[in-house]
Amino acid sequence: MTFATLLSAAFLVPLLQTTLRSTTVLLFTALGGMFSERSGVVNIALEGMIIFGALTAAVSAQLLEAPYVAQNPNAHVWWIPWVAVLLAMVVGAVVGWIHAVVSIKYKADQIISGTAINLLAAGLPSLVLRYLYNNTTSSKEITNRLPEWLGFSPLVYLAFALVPITWYVMFKTPWGLRLRSVGEHPEAADTMGINVFRTRYAAVIISGMLAGMAGAYLSIGILNQFVRNMSAGQGFIALAALIFGKWHPLGVLGATLLFGFAKALAIQLGGGDIMPPTIIEAFPFIITMLVLAGFVGTSRPPKAIGKPYEK
Amino acid sequence: MNRIWLALTSVVFLLLLAISPWAIAMRAFGGKGILITLWGVVDLYGRAKAMPDVSWLGYFTIFWVALALLVVVAAFLPEAKSRARLLYVLGLAGIAVFALEAFLFYHSVWSVNDAALAAGARRPPLKRYSLSLGAYVSFLYSLFLIGIGRMQLPGGRALLVRWRGVIVPAVSMLLAMVAGAVVVWILKETHLPQGSGALAYYAAKLDQVTYTFQLLFGPLLTASGWFQSLLIATPLIFTGLAVAFGFQAGLFNIGAPGQLTIGAIFAMLAGVHLANAHWFAGLPPGLARAIFLPIGVIAAAAGGALWGAIPGWLKARFGAHEVINTIMMNYIAASIFLFMIASNEYTFFGKWTLHMPFKFPGYEGRSYEVAESARIPLLINTLGFHQDSSGAWTGAFSWAIPLALAFLVAGYIFFRKMELGKRLLAALAAALLGYFIGGFLPGIPMHVSPKLASVRLNGAFIIAIFAVAFYNYYMWRTRDGYELRAVGLAPKAAEYGGISIAKKTILAMAISGALAGLAATHYVLGGGIDEYRLKQSLPTNVGFDGIAVALLGQNTPIGVFLSALLFGVLSTGGLQLDLQLGISRELVMMLQALIVLFIAAGGFLPRYFTDPILAAQAEEGVQGVL
Repeated sequence: MTFATLLSAAFLVPLLQTTLRSTTVLLFTALGGMFSERSGVVNIALEGMIIFGALTAAVSAQLLEAPYVAQNPNAHVWWIPWVAVLLAMVVGAVVGWIHAVVSIKYKADQIISGTAINLLAAGLPSLVLRYLYNNTTSSKEITNRLPEWLGFSPLVYLAFALVPITWYVMFKTPWGLRLRSVGEHPEAADTMGINVFRTRYAAVIISGMLAGMAGAYLSIGILNQFVRNMSAGQGFIALAALIFGKWHPLGVLGATLLFGFAKALAIQLGGGDIMPPTIIEAFPFIITMLVLAGFVGTSRPPKAIGKPYEK
Repeated sequence: MNRIWLALTSVVFLLLLAISPWAIAMRAFGGKGILITLWGVVDLYGRAKAMPDVSWLGYFTIFWVALALLVVVAAFLPEAKSRARLLYVLGLAGIAVFALEAFLFYHSVWSVNDAALAAGARRPPLKRYSLSLGAYVSFLYSLFLIGIGRMQLPGGRALLVRWRGVIVPAVSMLLAMVAGAVVVWILKETHLPQGSGALAYYAAKLDQVTYTFQLLFGPLLTASGWFQSLLIATPLIFTGLAVAFGFQAGLFNIGAPGQLTIGAIFAMLAGVHLANAHWFAGLPPGLARAIFLPIGVIAAAAGGALWGAIPGWLKARFGAHEVINTIMMNYIAASIFLFMIASNEYTFFGKWTLHMPFKFPGYEGRSYEVAESARIPLLINTLGFHQDSSGAWTGAFSWAIPLALAFLVAGYIFFRKMELGKRLLAALAAALLGYFIGGFLPGIPMHVSPKLASVRLNGAFIIAIFAVAFYNYYMWRTRDGYELRAVGLAPKAAEYGGISIAKKTILAMAISGALAGLAATHYVLGGGIDEYRLKQSLPTNVGFDGIAVALLGQNTPIGVFLSALLFGVLSTGGLQLDLQLGISRELVMMLQALIVLFIAAGGFLPRYFTDPILAAQAEEGVQGVL
């Protein structure tokens, strides 16, 4: 492989497509994380929420399609993947709710609570897979994946459409203002009659729903099954993108595009002799550390982040 | 309120006693057993040849019902002292009766087996018999009564708060076990014989759940189980200490996997490439071991320390949060690891080729073998056993290591009047003396079962014990440790007191990383992954498990050691779980995660258990806190 091939359409078009696909997962997750963190709750559990979403989508799609596939192995039922995505969001919301109860109601250390959920996501899927499919690493392949419109899953368009929507909700609606005020100065928000607890609950649950959707995209959008550890740290990268993007939707878009591009590059260059993919895969992590250290612009977190609110 | 709870508990106890299997007369491989309940026998096995005589069980049932009724009555006694006294008596009576029941059960099982063997049977007809949930709950209920008795007296609740370091993890553990039981109940189907009723269904379900935990705690009953548990516990002790060390200094070191990885790479470099270097080829083996073994261990610690110090420095210098940074460092370490171990040749930009000497030829990603001189010996070798040419393990149990450890502890206790540094030196000298005395004492010839010998428990376990001692000494007996804890508890006050938070942060992260890196001694130098190599299958996840270990152990040295041992036992039992019941051993991982979650939530206990200020007030007896 030479530099000339790097500029050819045969290389660039798939690179672009892969970039958009890998950005989608990060974008959903990071935008979800933004709700949670803007409300003052650290959400390190995003990684686990993606895994739970991915598992739910793949398993529910498989169970739903089973009676149809039994009659016709190639049966295509249009609503199955959509119901699966919905269920993934519901499960994501439930996981978010658990994180919220532990860290808001019981005032736990939010990072420890999130870590517990990530550990749970590393263990529970194997139990379910063992029960349903008698193996511990992957679910049965499904035939009813998410459809593709113009080469991309609808969720890709949705993810990018969510950027302006989130921006509008966060900065142009009263609810967004309340959310941000709860994350910046909960005491003041409380004095103004805003229910700090309820706002934070809602924010964390929304972040769970979006992360669950990201997981669904991984398992039934990109692939057609759940594979163990399939999120491979993307929840953490999304968190990093959130910090890099300064907790702002547009910044998050830029950061996730950059990280998505790095991942796509690693995939496209895999097996070639330009750069070992292991090195390229480490780029997002190194960039994140540089960002955190303030070498690439400073980033100010919401003031009340990580602190349980004492009424 | 108290009375209602006590009555409710008694009702639940009686219900469980009534429904659940009281004992298992025998159990086949795969978990199907003959359940003895208070109302009859449920035979899931289906080919019962003999049954123990448990006709006495009915009388005891009457006792337990009477006991529970008396407890409800006791709750209504007007005077606290007489309430407590009655509950104590009832609890002790319960324990005594439980012991009697256990004795009678085992006695009747043995007499059936003996009779069958005497009659000429080749194998005893009853195997894997045990007490079961019904018996367990009656024992636990009796213990509970004694505890409740203490709670009736003044200061009872303050006593609970004083023991919160045990109560919060214990309650969390219990809740996690209940949640695990629910998962097993849902996920594992039961096959009942035709025509059995609902009661039999519940008994079978409860038996399944009980058997799951019997299997999980089963390793505690055998020597090889203990060895295997200690083997799994060894790296967990290191990573648990690493996380606990960070917590004490107010830092959350979630980067133990990365620090372990870099520690392993450093240990590999020292153990393979330094110790095998050609200019050391002439060294006598003893001298080479005395040089390279310590170097390998130090290299592992140094690698971890480096990987821990970087996020520490980033936090101290730029205020970058250590949690995100250590997570990022985990992935970078994994990349470096793969880069070194997956291939020896990389081409950059199609022109420059990099050649590296680390990967052993072949399909699998693994390094060359660690030199003999840098290997940590197996514990079974250091205890005086060795493998002869036929592969059998022979030898005599040597007193050298056990006596050395005993002398160490004894010396440390005996010389308590001395100044600390001298005291440690004296204790070390005593240990050396013990080692030589033990070496001269005649050993005990012993037979080592192949099962026990196959467990690769190695000297890294001894290093782990020293690490626990170091943690205890450094954190609670030195000025540096005191300052670290001060930074963890109240950073602003510590800074005002003249402590440099930046320096302490870097130091704490470096030591924490070093502890995590030492786990690599077990894997690489001790042959913990079956070979004396660095392999792609290096289980870096134990770094995350360290979080659960540290939290369950409440960051105390003995707590970390015990909870690592507990997880070692559970993981060992998890293997059996998979074999016998077809439940994935990830159940153990799930239990760990739930324990972390519940401890984070303070075991869902009232605030005065978890909030340090409220807890202190509760202990002091400040009005209105409890």
